[in-house]
Amino acid sequence: MEQKILKKDQIGKLHNELVSEYNFYAPINKKGNIVFEKIENPEDIVLDYLNSKIPPKSVLFPQMEVLFEYTLDEKDVEITDRQDLDQKFLIFGIRPCDAYSFELFANFFSFHGDWKDEIYLKKKENTTLIGIGCNSPRTTCFCTSVDGNPFNKDNMDVFLTDLGETYLVEGISDKGKDLVKKLSWLSNATDKDVKKAQELAKQAEESITTRMDVDKIVKNLETCFEHPVWEEISEACIGCGSCAYLCPTCTCFDVIDETDQYNNRGRRIRIWDTCQSCLYTLETSGHNPRNTKIQRCRNRIMHKFSYYPTNYDLLGCVGCGRCVSVCPANNDLRVILNKIERIEKEEDEKVVA
Amino acid sequence: MPNPYIPYLTTVKSIVSENRVNDIKTIELEFKKEEDYKKFDYIPGQFAEISLIGKGECPIGIASSPTEEGTIKFTIKKMGTVTTGFHNCEVGDTVGVRGPCGNGWPVEDMKGKNIVVIGGGFAFSTLRSLVIYVLDEKNRKNYGNITVIYGNRDSGEVLYTDILEEWKKRDDIKVVLTIDRPEEEWTEKVGFVAPVVKEVGPSSDNAIAVVCGPPIMIKTTIAVLEELNWKDEQILNSLEMRMKCGIGKCGRCNIGNKFVCVDGPVFSLAELKKMPNEY
Repeated sequence: MEQKILKKDQIGKLHNELVSEYNFYAPINKKGNIVFEKIENPEDIVLDYLNSKIPPKSVLFPQMEVLFEYTLDEKDVEITDRQDLDQKFLIFGIRPCDAYSFELFANFFSFHGDWKDEIYLKKKENTTLIGIGCNSPRTTCFCTSVDGNPFNKDNMDVFLTDLGETYLVEGISDKGKDLVKKLSWLSNATDKDVKKAQELAKQAEESITTRMDVDKIVKNLETCFEHPVWEEISEACIGCGSCAYLCPTCTCFDVIDETDQYNNRGRRIRIWDTCQSCLYTLETSGHNPRNTKIQRCRNRIMHKFSYYPTNYDLLGCVGCGRCVSVCPANNDLRVILNKIERIEKEEDEKVVA
Repeated sequence: MPNPYIPYLTTVKSIVSENRVNDIKTIELEFKKEEDYKKFDYIPGQFAEISLIGKGECPIGIASSPTEEGTIKFTIKKMGTVTTGFHNCEVGDTVGVRGPCGNGWPVEDMKGKNIVVIGGGFAFSTLRSLVIYVLDEKNRKNYGNITVIYGNRDSGEVLYTDILEEWKKRDDIKVVLTIDRPEEEWTEKVGFVAPVVKEVGPSSDNAIAVVCGPPIMIKTTIAVLEELNWKDEQILNSLEMRMKCGIGKCGRCNIGNKFVCVDGPVFSLAELKKMPNEY
């Protein structure tokens, strides 16, 4: 495969060339937090970030999104569908874990055959990902335990490796290969560049020290729904939902109508929601099937590590570690999973004793 | 494939108050476009996301049967913002409908079997749909004996009284009505649903029981059915959960790895026993 070199001072040129065709999103530093936003000035782009605070799921699945618009006229209603779904998106500088989360989203939103989420799926189809490997994963990263890798290129269209002064550029998908071909001004990479990229990938993988036996965790979860471990796991949780809002694989949403009463028009929107909120499942009758914190914390873990594998044969976690770093109560997913992983062992030991 | 969140538009054709305290109404809707009505191909036991555009949307079981052609009906209790909006509706108002959603009663698998329909209170709407469906002249021959046991708090809460009267006049369906406490002029049974089921004693031979109602009624009725030798596979329930999308996307109606909106709302007792007790 032909590999190319992008000089760090050529990012502006790349942006200029692609911005007329794509909504060009990239990580920027906004008030001290890394977020993916539409880029006006390519100098704002930050690529040497560890992980973005808000996952780039927000580009295709924004915190608030219009489902359709309406105008009200006496007894009549007129509905206007989304007109902007043919726009093309380019997400520059996305990390492998987040790129994989887009696949999980697409899988979930197309799962129930008769009812596909066409809004998301159309946007996903029109999206190109130019991702970048993680030279120095965070201490909270654990992608290697959940089928990922800091240099996983599978879900990318184009993959970059930060070589210091330059980026190694590889076209991965057909779409990505065409794009690289189009950028004819990129210089050719040398064997030395390619070798350095391989070394960086190896170092990065080795630097992730968290090791979990996810198969064991998935298996244990099949039988520990009523286990007292959930009480321990949920004890510190304050139910703020940050873990879910900032999770790149959390898809849940609420739906509400916003009406401008003076102008008789409005829009039905969806907004991020979370199973960590007690209102999430509260029924009009007052009955709430997940009334306790234990049930809600359990649902989040079960969803990602048991229901997801059962339904889709995939894990619902990409190991980005955001939930670990944002939790105000220091609830650490790795510790939670470790507790679940140990359940059987402890019981076996008891049997032996 | 179109945007799945856009509803079909319908017009309110009629509104009927169903109970004495006037907090349950049946709203009949006519699709504005004939082609939308054709696409809305449903079976009894399914539900729809119905909305007053500008107020919001909610999941409601379809009370009409597909054999009642031309319109669809929903029986709505006045509870929150949207349902109160429906209670304030007038004939001619526009209502959005998405669906049909969910699996519905397994009317194909029920063919050749005796059917026992047990309902409590307001949960009778999709049972109305089922009974009208199986009694339809095109379908009646496909099903065995039909028994309906329907309980309410008092006589003022009995839904669909006109239709119940029609059913009682037929000789191919047994209808047993009961209310919790005796009332003057009430000539039917008195008592909770479970003991009445015990008294009626429906046979489990080649039969399916469909049980809908408040949790305590379901629990006590199932205990009675078990005494009468009914198997878990023969007992069907329809579950309710909070829902937003109705199409397996918004997340909140999961019980374990199942979504009530797409995998349900109808589950057999055998299936429910395998699911976590979170509903």
